[in-house]
Amino acid sequence: MFHWLEKNPFFFAVGVFIVIAYAGLIEILPNFAEAARPVKGLKPYTVLQLAGKEVYKKDNCIACHSQLIRPFKAETDRYGQYSLSGEYAYDRPFLWGSKRTGPDLHRVGNYRTPDWHANHMWNPKSVVPDSIMPAYKHQFTNVADLETAYAEAVTVKKVFGTPYGADIAPGKAAYEKELKTKILPEALKIATAMKRDDLIKMVKAGKVPEVVALVAYLEKLK
Amino acid sequence: MTTVEIEQIRAYMFVIGTGIVMAIFYYYIIYLYRSEKKGEKDYEKYSNLALDDELDSKILDKNPKIENDKKE
Amino acid sequence: MQSNATMEYDYSVVKLFMWTAVIFGIVGMTIGVLIASQLAFPDLNYLLGEYGTFSRLRPLHTNVVIYGFTLSGIWASFYYTAQRVLKVSISESGLLKALTKLHFLLYLVIATGMVVSLALGITASKEYAQMEWPLDALVVLTWVIFGINMFGLIGLRREKTLYISLWYYIAFFLGVAMLYLFNNMEVPTMFFSGGLGAWYHSVSMYAGTNDALVQWWWGHNAVAFVFTVPIIALIYYFLPKESGQAVYSYKLSLLSFWGLMFVYLWAGGHHLLWSTVPDWMQTMGSVFSVVLILPSWGSAINMLLTMKGEWNQLTENPLIKFMVLASTFYMLSTLEGPIQAVKSVNAIAHFTDWIPGHVHDGVLGWVAFMIFAALMHMAPRVFKREIYSKSLLESQFWIQTIGVVLYFTSMWIAGITQGMMWRAVDEYGNLVYSFIDTVSVLHPYYALRALGGLLYLIGMFMFAYNFFKTATAGKRLEQEPRYRSPMA
Repeated sequence: MFHWLEKNPFFFAVGVFIVIAYAGLIEILPNFAEAARPVKGLKPYTVLQLAGKEVYKKDNCIACHSQLIRPFKAETDRYGQYSLSGEYAYDRPFLWGSKRTGPDLHRVGNYRTPDWHANHMWNPKSVVPDSIMPAYKHQFTNVADLETAYAEAVTVKKVFGTPYGADIAPGKAAYEKELKTKILPEALKIATAMKRDDLIKMVKAGKVPEVVALVAYLEKLK
Repeated sequence: MTTVEIEQIRAYMFVIGTGIVMAIFYYYIIYLYRSEKKGEKDYEKYSNLALDDELDSKILDKNPKIENDKKE
Repeated sequence: MQSNATMEYDYSVVKLFMWTAVIFGIVGMTIGVLIASQLAFPDLNYLLGEYGTFSRLRPLHTNVVIYGFTLSGIWASFYYTAQRVLKVSISESGLLKALTKLHFLLYLVIATGMVVSLALGITASKEYAQMEWPLDALVVLTWVIFGINMFGLIGLRREKTLYISLWYYIAFFLGVAMLYLFNNMEVPTMFFSGGLGAWYHSVSMYAGTNDALVQWWWGHNAVAFVFTVPIIALIYYFLPKESGQAVYSYKLSLLSFWGLMFVYLWAGGHHLLWSTVPDWMQTMGSVFSVVLILPSWGSAINMLLTMKGEWNQLTENPLIKFMVLASTFYMLSTLEGPIQAVKSVNAIAHFTDWIPGHVHDGVLGWVAFMIFAALMHMAPRVFKREIYSKSLLESQFWIQTIGVVLYFTSMWIAGITQGMMWRAVDEYGNLVYSFIDTVSVLHPYYALRALGGLLYLIGMFMFAYNFFKTATAGKRLEQEPRYRSPMA
């Protein structure tokens, strides 16, 4: 029987596949039946925050920063309450990271302010003299892609039932409306808190700099 | 299905599946050595597949579906 | 008898993949040395403006060495080995010949797309699966073509029994196909939002903890099925062939194969210890990671024993040096990995530099050494020329070995230092160090690591030069060498 398998590539491949798929079947699939439920009171990201998450992905902050506080005293003392599964319910993709060249950011919104971030992203050494983090000055001039973030909100609402209001709907008109009524005012609030005139000016002109969206996202991490 | 049921099914699948795989695996070990002892199969000769790998090298097990035209 | 007298193995596609392996090797490792230096000397972040920061370059480094250098090396070796152990030439089937060319072309398109999109910051952000959906779709297509080529060659084979290397290649094909498909399930946002936003953007099918589970099931098993399984396929062919020694125990190689297949997939959970995935799954991840030592060492010991009675070749032939050291590093990293997967060790090691240290003793010591040896073994047979310089190979070996040792020792110390400092408390239970203290202390180790990387890169350039010279200026060979590769 065994030797027959060794000479019949098709059935051999099937055998190999069964053996390697088995672990996945047991480990992964059943977890999907029980999708991670959001913790009580968890709100989905606003469009501006989603745009900030895209900046976080684009400049690849997860190369050096984790978003996962492990249940050790040393970690909860340093970063706050350990992370719960339900807190990530709206994270697509997850951004836990795998390396802490810099500190964890899962609750950074609790202990940093927008203007601290503004100084830090412009020149990390101005707030942390020994920092080895590069400055991200281009985020102050690049414009965040709000339309894609909005498209993402519409998609997760439609496909995964993420609880957004009725105003998140497909189409250019709905987007323009959301931009005027929600996204820009929220961005203006963040930009004002960041205490930089150039950012405020850009937002008032209808263009949200990447760093404003990013800080909106970081402020959400609590 | 409740979470508990899923967990139970999963645990049973794990135990039974691993048991079956282990059984097959150990049977395979026995089979390998026994077939060699009985002289039915010589597995070690297949090591030579890497060494004699010219197009005109001797073929160990001919594939009957392919005409081995060049070797007669 | 007619045309067969002149029939030969067809190495045209092998050559193409060999060249891309060398080119991507240089590119990927250069970026690697740059980003390693950036950690020690942060001013290097500003060489290329927005595109030159550590964070933007890191995925480029990982993707180019994994999917550029390693995959090219694997495919070159596959198309070479498969023909030979099956005793069938690609040129026997016009269709297969065309498809192998198509395979290479698509691969180039994807690799280019990958480099450009990652440099621009277009990313799905899951580690080692950063490519966005249009490229993912191309990858699937390429993989199907690779599968057709593999099973096509097998279908035409003269030798009915499949050599153990092919077992591993088949597992490589199946494993990556399954993992890649599941991990890259994503929903393009354009289709659901009435055409808004960037066309290439997508969101992951899974959220939060589920996404992490699938990602590390992939992340770890990508290591299994790209860095381990096909590289074992390489060593099972190239070491016996180069040394002229049959595999020590063919039966052991078969047993290790099934053991590895069954156990490896369970181990992915060890990336998520102490996280929010269920407890028993973390335990499973730990336990199976430890069991994994057995089949891994089965293969490695089998390789070392293959050299039994022929250890003099180790001093005489640099290619044997590369391969023997590769199996030794394989043993080292398959011991180190399970140690890190023990929950208490993981509590210290996770998120620190010990992890990149572990990855690199595996990839630099095992994967890349094996690919160097394979490329140099194939070069004389493919180009029908002698290897250009033996002494260059020898020096490359020593320079790179020193580089690897510097790399992983500095990262071990850095990782454990940092892990301990993060959790150090004073007599009142307060944290002793602020985070930045634990960064500043690493400077000498980062510098040392960059130096190790630089040595390795120098070796890579020596290899590239040697390879180029072999292909263009090596002494012509009248006859294909049987075992040992001739070198000047």
